[in-house]
Amino acid sequence: MMKKPLAGIINISLNNILSIKRALEYVGFDVIVINEQRNVEKFDLIVLPGVGAYHEAMKKLRETKLILSIEQALEKNINFLGICLGMQLLFEESEEFGLTKGIGFFDGKVENFKKYKVERQTFIGWNRVKFETKKILIREKSVENDLMNTTFYFIHSFFVSCKDKVIESGTSTNGKLNFTSVVKKDKVLAFQFHPEKSGKNGLILLKYLVKNL
Amino acid sequence: MLGYPEFFAKKYFEENIDEIIIQDVVASLYKRNQLSSFTNKISKNVFVPITVGGGIRNVNDIREILVNGADRVSINTAAVNDKNFIKESVKLFGSSTIAITIETLKIGEKYKVYTDSGRTETNINAFDWIKELQEIGVGEIILTSINNEGTGKGFDLNLYEKASSVCKISLLAHGGAKNPEDVYKLFTNTDVEGAIIASAFHFNYYKELLAKKEISLQGSTNFLIDKNYKNIFFCGVKDLKKYLKVKRINIR
Repeated sequence: MMKKPLAGIINISLNNILSIKRALEYVGFDVIVINEQRNVEKFDLIVLPGVGAYHEAMKKLRETKLILSIEQALEKNINFLGICLGMQLLFEESEEFGLTKGIGFFDGKVENFKKYKVERQTFIGWNRVKFETKKILIREKSVENDLMNTTFYFIHSFFVSCKDKVIESGTSTNGKLNFTSVVKKDKVLAFQFHPEKSGKNGLILLKYLVKNL
Repeated sequence: MLGYPEFFAKKYFEENIDEIIIQDVVASLYKRNQLSSFTNKISKNVFVPITVGGGIRNVNDIREILVNGADRVSINTAAVNDKNFIKESVKLFGSSTIAITIETLKIGEKYKVYTDSGRTETNINAFDWIKELQEIGVGEIILTSINNEGTGKGFDLNLYEKASSVCKISLLAHGGAKNPEDVYKLFTNTDVEGAIIASAFHFNYYKELLAKKEISLQGSTNFLIDKNYKNIFFCGVKDLKKYLKVKRINIR
């Protein structure tokens, strides 16, 4: 039997990481939950999920030294997936509760919906994503169609303002505001929405990740 | 009570449901708490958001349910009894993780809040309670009409119209849906974010379960076995979505 690829989930939150674990298992990964700093060179994929507050998450990453495992994964060019807060943490800083410095892998900052003409200041629900499928290596037309004509599950009050348009790989709207919902640079891919909560099409996206390792 | 919660959860996911809500309706009354193992099983095959409620009394209860696969919890009785508990929960887990269930009974022209699954009356007015919960910072209100729940009379449009005019956060309507037309009326007459349907969906797929294989009955289901469908209503998830799309309601 072929050995399954190994995914590690960085565990920083009190909230639900079981769903992402099961979704990764569903699409063919073996999964280990990473609660403290460890060598991550052997992993085929590192996932940084997250629900909750930016500054709390950064604090926890430093306290647990998990930040070192993340930095190691990014340096060693290991496949990396950021989800929701996990995506935001990969940017330079967030204006949640004053300014909090982030991991800074992507250029740009995290802003509050409140300052803009949006429909909902806290967005909980389904929203479309305009993918730039070439950038995230989706080549099959049928998959592209599936992803373009569907909605994904978002839950956030903050969004990413991405400086580097080259890495911006998908956008969504809230009222009149257009924001980055997918970024990709090198081996690092990040979604503002939750693929593990987005029904069948979320699983299709994750399956693609396995294929493109 | 039909049994087979895992069957239903999986079925709903396959049929493209937007969200699943699990309620232990007598948990507060019996002071029991068995939801976390239950949630763990149900969430296995479900990759859409899951909200779990019933008998949640402290932050440990919440944590326990979240680590077992729920994305949100819903709280009724404990919220009425202790507002500080809700404030603390919002701070700890974030607004979007905390939903409050309001069960209301219409008496005369007033909508009164009830706890313990409709068994205990309070002096709280439902609309005042919504405003207060918004200020506390909860992420979502699930508003159940005790009068209509399980009756198939359709949604209490008056209730949801009034509620959605004061509610600035996500509001879900629950109680009375019999057919797609009821849901259409709800979305065209009120500003609610979503409709919650239990019996109509459950009965629909239970028929399927019965037809497919021999099953041992877990609940009070004689009315279905006898094919005595007179007062029972059926509605499939896909059919409902198709109906709403044709009527140009913006749904997933």
